[in-house]
Amino acid sequence: MSVRTRKPRQIELATTFADQAVIAIENVRLFDEIQDKSRQLEVASQHKSQFLANMSHELRTPLNAILGYTELMADGIYGELPEKTMGVLKRLESNGRHLLGLINDVLDLSKIEAGQLMLELTDYSLEDIAQTVRSTLEPLAADKKLAFKVEVAPKMPPGHGDGRRLTQVLINLVGNAIKFTDAGEVVIKASASDGSFHLSVRDSGPGISAADQAKLFQEFQQADNAITRKKGGTGLGLAISKRIVEMHGGKIWVESQVGQGSMFAFTVPVRVERQVEPV
Amino acid sequence: MSNRILVVEDQEDNRQIIRDTLPATDYEIMEAESGEQALEAVAKQRPDLILMDIQLPGIDGYEATRRIKADPALRSIPIFAVTSYALSGEEQKARAAGCDEYVAKPYSPRQLLAKIRQYLS
Repeated sequence: MSVRTRKPRQIELATTFADQAVIAIENVRLFDEIQDKSRQLEVASQHKSQFLANMSHELRTPLNAILGYTELMADGIYGELPEKTMGVLKRLESNGRHLLGLINDVLDLSKIEAGQLMLELTDYSLEDIAQTVRSTLEPLAADKKLAFKVEVAPKMPPGHGDGRRLTQVLINLVGNAIKFTDAGEVVIKASASDGSFHLSVRDSGPGISAADQAKLFQEFQQADNAITRKKGGTGLGLAISKRIVEMHGGKIWVESQVGQGSMFAFTVPVRVERQVEPV
Repeated sequence: MSNRILVVEDQEDNRQIIRDTLPATDYEIMEAESGEQALEAVAKQRPDLILMDIQLPGIDGYEATRRIKADPALRSIPIFAVTSYALSGEEQKARAAGCDEYVAKPYSPRQLLAKIRQYLS
């Protein structure tokens, strides 16, 4: 059959098939390219998280010497020290601890990004968590002359999840509350109902505008004003907290109005049997 | 009677901190800077407790711990993993290798001493 004998309809069809074939071939090529790119990205991401893990190790090693010598000096191992020197040592220690916190935050976030943050699911007691948070942060609240209240409902059920990570979340929220509140109180409440724990941290601080609330849980974002710049921080704490709560299948949010203080709250299932993967 | 502690650590500053942490009246300190040296020291002069850094030149702290714990004559010596690897799962790795305690760097010398005393009272 020669070309001249083809009907226009046949030609039209052949052209359509040819076009489709071109598109299909192009799709296969694009698909290959995407697969290739995503493999490259995966490798790059693994390299990045390995680099951050090594980096964190390298940063923690000298920090061990700095904090270790500081504590030994403050404990008088190298002899009695004048009061003024003791004051300087305290500042040295608190700055060293702050630096450690920043290193830990960056490491945590890099692990989350690389999908390497794994919850360690075991039994925990919310009473114990509240107690840890109280003993860790009550001195900071006392330094600022803030009232510090911890209200845990009676007869809390035993929890199952990553108690250490949930402690980290609560310490982060309470630490923020103390940091941004200059007068008044910080109140922690814990209760359980309908198979979930409910935790909240209320403060009498400056409050947060609606626009800033939207940005709070994103990486490297802080409510952008002079106060937050003065108070410091990486802006990673809430982003990390959000991921930890979500990995437990829970929710975290803020309720606040400028001038009315803030309340950060989260809920997690009492029993978490499996880590929830990010969507 | 003073207890003998083997400090396995490749960093001079960290060895110095442990020397300054452990009162000389209560503890006699032996030192090793690599996994191989640690195994040699353990075989020659059986310590009462081992502080084991994990990242070491040559065989690492986990491997050294496994070999010590595989020897029935040495198995009962408590070994503390002392490491600045902060990845999750590190503690399980240390326990799986046979470490009795896990101490993350940076550690508080005061708290480390308290932990050692629990084992050597």
